[in-house]
This record gives sequence, C-alpha cells and structure tokens, in this order.
Amino acid sequence: MLTSNRNTGKLLWVFNRSEGETVTQPRSDVLQGTLDLMVLKTLDTLGATHGYGIAQRIHQVSENLLQLNQGTLYPALLRLEQKGWIASRWGTSENNRRARFYSLTKSGKKQLAREAEDWQRIVGVMGRVLGSEGA
Amino acid sequence: MGNIRAALIRAWGFVTRQRGSDDRDLRAELLFHTELLEADLRRGGMGGEEARREARVRLGGETQVAESYADQRSLPAAESFLQDLRYAVRTYRRAPGFTLAALLTLALGIGATTSIFSVVNAVLLRPLPYANADRLVGVGDGASAAGYDNVGYATFADYRDRTRALERLVAVRSWQTTLVTSEAERVAGMRVSWNYFDMLGARPALGRTFRQTDDAKEQWRVLVLSDSLWRRRFNADPSVIGRTLRMNDQQFEIVGVMPAGFDDAISSRFYKTAEVWAALGYDASLPYACRGCQHLKAFGQLRPGVTVEQATSDLMAVRSDLARQWPTEYDQREHIGIVPLQDVISGPVKEPLYVLLAAVGFVLLIACANVANLLLARGMSRSREMAVRAALGAGRGRLIRQLVTEGLLLWTAGGVAGIAVGAFLLQTLADLAPVELPRAAAVGIDGWVLGFCGGLSIVTGLLFGLLPALNTPLRLTNALASDARGSVGTSSRRARQALVVIDLAVALVLLVGAGLMLKSVGRLVSVDPGFKSERVLTAQFSLIGEAYREAAAVYAFVERIVDRVRALPGVEVAAAAGQIPMGGNGDRYGFHIEGMEPANPAEAPSPERYSVTPDYFRVLQIPLRRGRLFTDADHTTAAPVIVISETAARTLFRGQDPIGRRVRIGDPTGTMWRTIVGVVGDVRHTDLAEAVWPQMYLPQSQMTDSYLVLAIRTSTSDPAALAPAVRSILKDADPTVPLYDVATLDQLLAKSVARRRFVMMLLVGFAAVSLLLAAVGLYGVISYTVAQRTREVGVRIALGAGRGDIFRLVLGSGAITLITGVAAGLGAALLVMRFVQGQLFQVEALDPSAIGAAVMILGVVATAAHLLPIRRALRIDPTIALRQD
Repeated sequence: MLTSNRNTGKLLWVFNRSEGETVTQPRSDVLQGTLDLMVLKTLDTLGATHGYGIAQRIHQVSENLLQLNQGTLYPALLRLEQKGWIASRWGTSENNRRARFYSLTKSGKKQLAREAEDWQRIVGVMGRVLGSEGA
Repeated sequence: MGNIRAALIRAWGFVTRQRGSDDRDLRAELLFHTELLEADLRRGGMGGEEARREARVRLGGETQVAESYADQRSLPAAESFLQDLRYAVRTYRRAPGFTLAALLTLALGIGATTSIFSVVNAVLLRPLPYANADRLVGVGDGASAAGYDNVGYATFADYRDRTRALERLVAVRSWQTTLVTSEAERVAGMRVSWNYFDMLGARPALGRTFRQTDDAKEQWRVLVLSDSLWRRRFNADPSVIGRTLRMNDQQFEIVGVMPAGFDDAISSRFYKTAEVWAALGYDASLPYACRGCQHLKAFGQLRPGVTVEQATSDLMAVRSDLARQWPTEYDQREHIGIVPLQDVISGPVKEPLYVLLAAVGFVLLIACANVANLLLARGMSRSREMAVRAALGAGRGRLIRQLVTEGLLLWTAGGVAGIAVGAFLLQTLADLAPVELPRAAAVGIDGWVLGFCGGLSIVTGLLFGLLPALNTPLRLTNALASDARGSVGTSSRRARQALVVIDLAVALVLLVGAGLMLKSVGRLVSVDPGFKSERVLTAQFSLIGEAYREAAAVYAFVERIVDRVRALPGVEVAAAAGQIPMGGNGDRYGFHIEGMEPANPAEAPSPERYSVTPDYFRVLQIPLRRGRLFTDADHTTAAPVIVISETAARTLFRGQDPIGRRVRIGDPTGTMWRTIVGVVGDVRHTDLAEAVWPQMYLPQSQMTDSYLVLAIRTSTSDPAALAPAVRSILKDADPTVPLYDVATLDQLLAKSVARRRFVMMLLVGFAAVSLLLAAVGLYGVISYTVAQRTREVGVRIALGAGRGDIFRLVLGSGAITLITGVAAGLGAALLVMRFVQGQLFQVEALDPSAIGAAVMILGVVATAAHLLPIRRALRIDPTIALRQD
C-alpha cells in the first residue's frame, strides 16, 4: 500500500505482503516519480477521470497491491496539475454528482512517453543486473 | 520547465491562499471519493456501517489530507515562517518594556554604525566619480615614492613628453580671482591643462571644455564655469556661451558650463572648491615656468595595465635624465612620487574614518550583546512555555526556528529604526564636523548604505538571536519537571556572563581609545603656537591687474589700508602680511647664505617666507630674541633687511651667529643681498602637531606680495564685529578689490585641531554609550543572580550573616565577571590600540595613565551597577524568602 508520512511530507511504500506483516520503506524521488507515472498512464488509458476512478484503476491493475490513500493521491494530482501535465475541471459524474475530472494535457502526454521509456530502460537494466548476478 | 512552473504556481498559491474556499472544493472532492469507495465496498458485500468505517480507514483522516494538500498548494516553509512571525509579534507586544529597550539599543547601535559607514562609503569606498577613476594618479616630486608634492612647469612638460607609462599628464594651479560685474566677488578657481576635463572623463553641460589651442601663453583667457557659479551669477542663462567676462582686470571668454553633478575633488582637496576654470597657458619662456618653480600639481592617467610601480620607475628614469641634464635644478635626494588619486583625495581622512568605524562597530557589538542578554533572560522565564510546546509535539528544530525568527524580527525592526537613527545622526555629524570632508556632497543614505544596514541587521540578528535558541534545553521535559526555583539554565547564566564580559571588554577598549584622544588633544591645545591668537581678526584681499603692476603701487595701497584700519576705534595695532600662520597658505623660498652656498643650489634650505609690515610682530606678539624688528625706516629704497626665526638661526648657520650675515632669497644668483638684522620666536605655520620649520621675515616694502592678509589686534572681545568696517575701508579704496576669508585667529587655530578634536568627541561619545550599556548589562546579570539566590541569602541571614557578608556575597558574584572583562579588554586594547597611533599626538598608544584611568572608570561604574542588587539583597526578609515558591 502506498501511503505518506504527513509530518515529513514523504511518501512511504507500504506492501501488504501477508496478513499482519507490513514493510515500510522510506520514499525516494524515484518512487514519487513512479506514482506520477502511474497517474499519467491511468489518465492516458481512461481519459478524463475523477480521483476515485484513478485510485480504483491503480488498485485493480496492481491486483489489489497498491491502495492509494487520499493524502497521497490528491496532493499528487495537484502537483501534476501545477507542473502542467494534467488539467482539471468540475463536471457531473455517472451517478449525477458534481465531481472533479482530471485529464492529460499535451505536455503530460510527452512527459508520459519520456518517463515510460526511462522506466522501461531502468527495468531492463535492473533485470539484466539482477539476472546476471543470479546466473 | 514543469518545476519552474510548479514553483511559480505554488508561490502564487502562497500569496493568494484562502483557506476557506480552497478547502470547500477539496472536501467536496474527498467526500465524493469516500462515498464511491463506500458504495463499492457495499457492493462487495460489506454491511452499511462496516463499509463506511472501512472506507474511512483506507482513505485516512480528512483533516490530514487537507493539510498535506494545502502544503502542496502553497509553500509550507513560508507558511510556518509567517506563523512564527505572527507569534513573535504577539509575544513582543505582550512585553512592551522589554521590546522597547531592545529596539532602542539596537536602533542606536545599528544607526550609529550606519551613519559612520555612510561617510566611509562615500569618501573611501565608492570610486571617484570619474571615468577610469582607478587609473588616475597624482604625480609629483617628493622625499620618497610615497611623498607627493608640487612640480615646476618645465619639469612637468618633460615628464609629459617623455613618459611612456601615462596616457595623459595634466597640471593644475590654484587660481583665486575676482569676478567683476556689478559687484566684485572673490571666486575660487583653477588653471588647468587643456585636457584636464578629458582626463576626468567630464563633459560640459553647455558649450565646450578646453582645446589644445587654448593652452598657450596668449590664448588661455577662456573660461569654463561651474553649475553653481552659472546659476548664482548668470541666472542659468544658456546664452552665456561666447560672452566675455571681466576677471581681475582682464577679459575672458566663457566657452563652457559644467553639469551640476561635476565634483572637482582635486580643487577641494588642495585649494578651494573650484567654480571657474581657465586654461593653464604656460610655456617655458615664462619666468615662473622654471624647473625649480614648484607651484603646479600634476595628475596623470595610467595606460591600461600599467601599475603605479611601473609608472614610478618609468618617471624616475625620466627624472634621473633631467637631473643629469640640469644638475643644479634638481635636489638629488628627492624622488618621484606617484599616488592613486583616490588616496590623494581621501588620504588625510582615511585613518580617522576607519578608527571611527571600528569604534562604532564596537558600540554595535555591545548593543547586540546586551540585547542577546535580554533575550536570554527572557528565554529563562519562557522555559516552561517551550516545554509545553514541546510536549504538544513541537520538535527542537521547530522551537529553535521560532526563536531565530523572533531574533531576526527584533533585529530587522532594529535595523529599520536604525536607518532612521542613522539618517538623523548623519545630519548631526555633518553639522558638527568642522573638517572639510572630501566628497562630502556624496555622503548620504544610498543603496549601498541600506544594503550594509540590512546585511548588518540580519548577520548580527542571526548571530546573537541564535544564542537563546542554542540554549533551548535538549530534553525539554526536564524543564517541565523542574520548578521555577530549580537550576534551569546554568548554561544560560554562563552565556549571559560571557556576554557581559564582552560588554566590559569592549567598553574598556573604547574608554582607552577615548582617553588617548583626550590626552592627545589636551597636549595639542597646550602646544604654544608661537603667537597670541586672542582678539585678532584676519581677512584677505589681493591686488592684481594693471593698476597694481608696480610693487610700489601695491605697497602704497597696502600702507594706506593698514593706516586706515589702525585708525578704527577698537583697533590696537594692525599689519598686513603675505601669509599668516594657520591661514591656509604655504610659501617657501630658497635661502642662500653668503659663504655657505651648497654645491647644488636646488639643495639650499627653503624656509617659510613672511613679507610683513612693521607692526606684524606686535599684532601676533611674536617675541624678539636678538637684534631688532622692522621699522618704518626699512622702506622700499632702504638697505634690504631680513629677520629669521630661532629654528632657522639654530639649524641653518652651523652654529655661527646669523646677525649681520647676508642672504639671497629665491634666485641664487640674480637678486640682491639682504642682511639679517634680528631673530624672533618660532611660529607653527600649518598645524600645531607638525614640527617647526625654519622661517624668515622680510619687510613688505622690500618684497611686496599681491595676495595679502590683514591681521588686526583689537581691544574688543569680539574682533569679528570689526569686519564690516574693514570691508568698507577696502571698498572705498578700490571697489574691485573684495575682502574674503574673514576669520579670527582663534578660529583659524581651532580649525587646525578640529579634526583631532572631532575624532575625540565622537570617541568619547561612543565610550560613554558603551560604558552605559555595559553597566546595564552587568546590572541585569547581577540582579538576576541575586533574585535566584534569594533563598540562599535568606538562609544566610537567618543563620546570622551580617550586612558585610551579604555585601561581599553580591560583590563577589560580579567580581569574576568584572575581572575577566577587564582582562579581556586589556588584551584587546593591546592588540587594537596601535591602529590609532596615527591619530595621537605626543601620546603612546599604550599610555599607562590612559589605560589606568579607563580601568578605574570601568571599575567604579561596574561597582555602582552592584548597588541596587545589594540593596535588594539586604532587604531580603528570611521568613519570606524561605517560604518563597
């Protein structure tokens, strides 16, 4: 589960490995970038979506591994909006409620492409490094 | 890109933040989120209540989310700084007495420092207001490379033509003229080489400056006016260009007007601030253009990349060639002197200004130490508050940040008040300062001064404001656990004692400095100038032009004026002279004794020359030692006579009797022999501090000057009252001859000690302020100690301690602080005082009596600071003290 330490403003990874055992690790800029990447990718896939939709999607795609809490998600959305990668507008939801919809901007699309590529490269490199060590 | 954009938006969010409406939107969004999650959970089979609870647990507290969201929207560090600031303002307002005391102390310290710094800034630090100011130098003959003096025209011309190190070399001379329009007015000016303004990079506001063709013997009568003269006498009329103007009795053409901002610092430094310039117009054929006629000042512009040392060796080579070519024209012992113009202009005031800046810096140090002391005292009483805040979750860092913010706020407010105080002090300083400060017009509170003041406040604020913060106990719970009578903050008490030690040490240093200056000025004013200055009025006039071409005509005029002045009621005796002591002019002539001529006439002595009317010695009351004074019989056609001073008699005649010997004055070959008929007492010509120079006196009838000083001994207590009568006598005799520089001899004498007296006054003021502050600081610490030991004192009294014991107890608590302070102060004084040696007169920098007096004064004041706490301790009632708390 991804959560945050409010005092330090730092994100914490919280993995639900098994019942009763949670492992907490300090967040780093890499991990913050990871959250951004997930949000951008989600918006790219779903189009304009409200915060709950984004959280649900990440929850499902991660096969219930990642549960974004509001204290992490909404500041992150604000941060992405401040950087100009996403935009938001108030609209009406499927159940006729007033909701805020987030969507990817043009520069957000570029950023997504860039970060996704970086991420793939890192994953590839890490895979090779770890793989060769294992061999 | 994205980051910059985000930072800007966050900064904007900080500025425009509105908790209410921003929050409402977020809460609506969060509520929507929670409801959807709850609905999903219910669909997954959870009960209504359980689903609601689970949704809330998963999503975290709404308030926390709102806070971290707000942090992201704005700048949390800035927010908490603002919070601290608001809190600091509140706490200061709750303690107005403390706040006022601290603010006043800081404003005084910062303000005083700011005012002195603004003078240092304008006079010493800012470059001269000329293009290429860093390449401008003064060039002259001197006893050493550091010395700097006049040059003769022929020498100047050779320097100019032969140097390879200088781009330009210009010469200037004083030119005090009489502007004759409807009314004659004395105008200060300079004659300058044609490229003088070009060298300074100064352009005219109107017309032109000089051309090379102006700088010739018959062409030099062209004028450039200053803005002030143009406004005063020509009503700022732009059509003055091309107009002719009568100066003395000659016609000049006005060719240009300088802008208002042009500051001729060279004229102000050496002559009087010039209001008019004419071309130099010398050539080698003029009698006063000779190599030995050293009355010009030369200034040069170094070629780019050439250092002063390189230029010195370049011109020294030129000079050696000249000395080989004309061996009898140059004193072989002399040297070329090249000095950066900045040092030429501000040289005389550099050291005193830095001494004052250092002194005022010490005052600021004491002020800061005292305020830090106050903060520490306040910090002790706030230890509970801190403990409570820590218990409620504030980290140590957070508390320290709060305290530093409080300190910075105090110092910043002190700095702002300090600027106001500084501006006020600067005005007072300018009114009091008797010294003509170079570039005084540039002195003011400008951006540099504001920056200095701001930097000073912040740096001192951080340094001293941090002290109480560092004192925050590591384990705050201890503070809560202990009660008020516990030993909270022994480290705090040590810090306060250390601050008082600084106070005392610095106060001692300033006291020693002030004592040294007091003693110097005392010594200086008790120096016998060699004449009696009381009740003497002096005034100057000059006789130039066609009517005064013949010396006889000048002398006849002078005699008539002196006779008429002597006849005025209230005048005892009157005389005229070519120069008088302390009169601001200097005139030395070669002195060639018959039978003692040196091989090189350029190395003959050059005493100060006074051409005087017979009563001069009676006016100034210069005593006759041997022989006789001048009489009316020593007239123009009588045998030439001369009177010399004691020092001249003692040093120039190799022990032989000077009376009856013959000398030539000036030109070693051409002029007549004059017979020495008397020896009179020495006078001090320029400055009481300077060594006496040999002097000679000639009858005005036998060597007539065109610049004259009237010296009038009166029987009234107010000699200045006579000035209008003297002025009208002169106006009757010739309306084109104005009287100027009217001053009593007392005033002139006072002016010569004015600089030292001014430095002394300021140092005494600084020392007094620092003494007061140190005493207050000491008092604060001792009364605190007594208050803390109330119970102990009570116990002692209950056990039978007498008044003497209590007395000793309290004095003892301050004694170590005092002794440490004095020891530290003595050490600092030993280190620092050699820097003031240059300001002292006949006093050693480590004068034992000055140091002793300073220690004594500090000791007495420090003991006095114990009196109130002692009184309080003696009044302690043991029964109450023991039940306290």
